[in-house]
Amino acid sequence: MRKLDIEFTVGLFLIAGIICLGYLSIKLGRMEVLGGEGYEVHALFSNSGGLKKGSSVTIAGVEVGRVNGVFLEDYHAKVVMNVSEGIKIQEDAIASIKTRGLIGEKFVEVTPGGAEETVPPGGRIRETQSPIDFEQLISKYVFGKVE
Amino acid sequence: MGKRFPFLWLAGVLVLAVLPWSAFAGAPTEQLKQTTDKVISILTDPDLKGPSNAEKRRALIRKIADERFDWNEMSRRALGHHWKKLNEEEKKTFVKLFSQLLDRTYMEKVEDYSGEKATYTGETIDENYAIVEMKVLTSKNVEIPVVNKLKKKGEDWMIYDVAVEGVSFVNNYRTQFNSLLSKSSVSELLAKLREKVSEK
Repeated sequence: MRKLDIEFTVGLFLIAGIICLGYLSIKLGRMEVLGGEGYEVHALFSNSGGLKKGSSVTIAGVEVGRVNGVFLEDYHAKVVMNVSEGIKIQEDAIASIKTRGLIGEKFVEVTPGGAEETVPPGGRIRETQSPIDFEQLISKYVFGKVE
Repeated sequence: MGKRFPFLWLAGVLVLAVLPWSAFAGAPTEQLKQTTDKVISILTDPDLKGPSNAEKRRALIRKIADERFDWNEMSRRALGHHWKKLNEEEKKTFVKLFSQLLDRTYMEKVEDYSGEKATYTGETIDENYAIVEMKVLTSKNVEIPVVNKLKKKGEDWMIYDVAVEGVSFVNNYRTQFNSLLSKSSVSELLAKLREKVSEK
């Protein structure tokens, strides 16, 4: 009887430990179990500049969502984002891919627009700005002069 | 019967002559091309050359630009979410001042035209929106990609944003107005614009 009690308690602790571990890994890994809260919108960029799943989506530098995935669609980068419930994105908002600092990580910054209509869940942010490829820009003005 | 034939032939030739314009380039590209061609014809017109004709030349270009640029839409997009804070009177003043500011900023660049070639490289239409991509070849042989964003208004396609080398014009002004309006009021912004426009 007593032996069973000890085994039972150990088992309980083990299960509690596994649950804690699961919770921690979900929280730290920023995974979502049941789709999470908020709604999905997408945007097409001519270049994603190395944006990854899990990158943040910000408005005025405040995180309002995360990137759910980056896919190739018709040779364009389709960025699917999950935006928090209650955050309205106007139809003329501009989504631009930016870099934190000089060599930091990539994120999506949304500059709100002035339109009355908003992007519905599953809708598209029409206006986008891809990151500027400095290498290409410099090479163009360095090698461009064929005279 | 024999007499009718030349008419039919003439009609056929006319249709063929008109067809390529409408068949190969979509309406947005065609309309944009017409506007650019008109501006270039003014800039290269020997009767309108020289500083003495500057006023007349600018007025003509401005009139053509008014037909193709949707200043209202541009202003609204440039102001972003601040647009809703303006009353009708302020909105009107802003649109007027903003278009004058662009006029001042870009007219000189337009007048510097020295035979740059523009080629139209692509067009995508999505309901009422269109994107016309073009490449401008400068005299130094550098190709500059320019993306025009247009919105359909009746039968006309009106420009509301232009991106040069991937940098959007509206986004540039939106960031500037945003930081200005977070520090100062709408009337201060209008005063600042007025000052910019009148400055020589």
